[in-house]
Amino acid sequence: MSAGVCFVSISFIRGSFLKYFFLNLYVILSLLADLLRQYVLNFHGLESKQYLYTYYYTDCLLTVALFVAVISLASHVFAELHLARYVRLVAVLLLLGTAGFSYAVVAQSTERLATGFALELSQNLYFVGLVLTYLLWGAVLKLHETRTRLVQMVLSLGLYFSAYAGSYALVNLAPKYEVVQYLAPVLGCFLPISWSLTIWRHNEGARLTPARLVAVPR
Amino acid sequence: MSRKLGAVVLALGILVGAMGLKTLVTTHSKSAVVMANGVSPVPKLPLPPK
Repeated sequence: MSAGVCFVSISFIRGSFLKYFFLNLYVILSLLADLLRQYVLNFHGLESKQYLYTYYYTDCLLTVALFVAVISLASHVFAELHLARYVRLVAVLLLLGTAGFSYAVVAQSTERLATGFALELSQNLYFVGLVLTYLLWGAVLKLHETRTRLVQMVLSLGLYFSAYAGSYALVNLAPKYEVVQYLAPVLGCFLPISWSLTIWRHNEGARLTPARLVAVPR
Repeated sequence: MSRKLGAVVLALGILVGAMGLKTLVTTHSKSAVVMANGVSPVPKLPLPPK
């Protein structure tokens, strides 16, 4: 939680709050969701329905916010090519397509339709975000994007999604070890910490060449 | 091919890829769901009614 406060504070101090508004919005919503979850958890407990609903509805909201954050980074990357309009079109189509697909999956069961839809949408949007982030990283390399902040933020997102996929695999491979259950909550801190470091260490004008990371034939 | 059509094709491609990846991952999983947000403990899902 303090990592999120740190990121928003640093964004304000470095004057990049509005520039990366949707990243800040995701972190702020994440903070509010954590506060709400803690409140419900303290009053009703982990096994309660109240906590279950609060958790999965806020998770759905946060996944949508994370998706919008990925799209905002894509808009930054493609802004110089004047393709921001088409990025927004792809985003809307993806959101509608994912919502339609999620509804089609849960429409058969009338019981807990709303909760099922929230969970399914959250899951599907997570995978869309994962694919989108890898495509974005491919675009960053292909377009020889040099803005350090942008490159590191996209890379952080890629690592975050990959780490979650890894933790998911571990949970399924070794469910009897309780420690793997805590991997996902620990990973929750990664994104605000890495974004904070990026904003803190590099200014908007900083440049690097990610293409140097790729091996090219001589 | 117009840019709009390209955007639609790209969106469909991403959607198909993502859903395919999800199907691949979840069919081989036993229990847990992927939860991507926050530091709070994940509540256990109730079993679906039979």
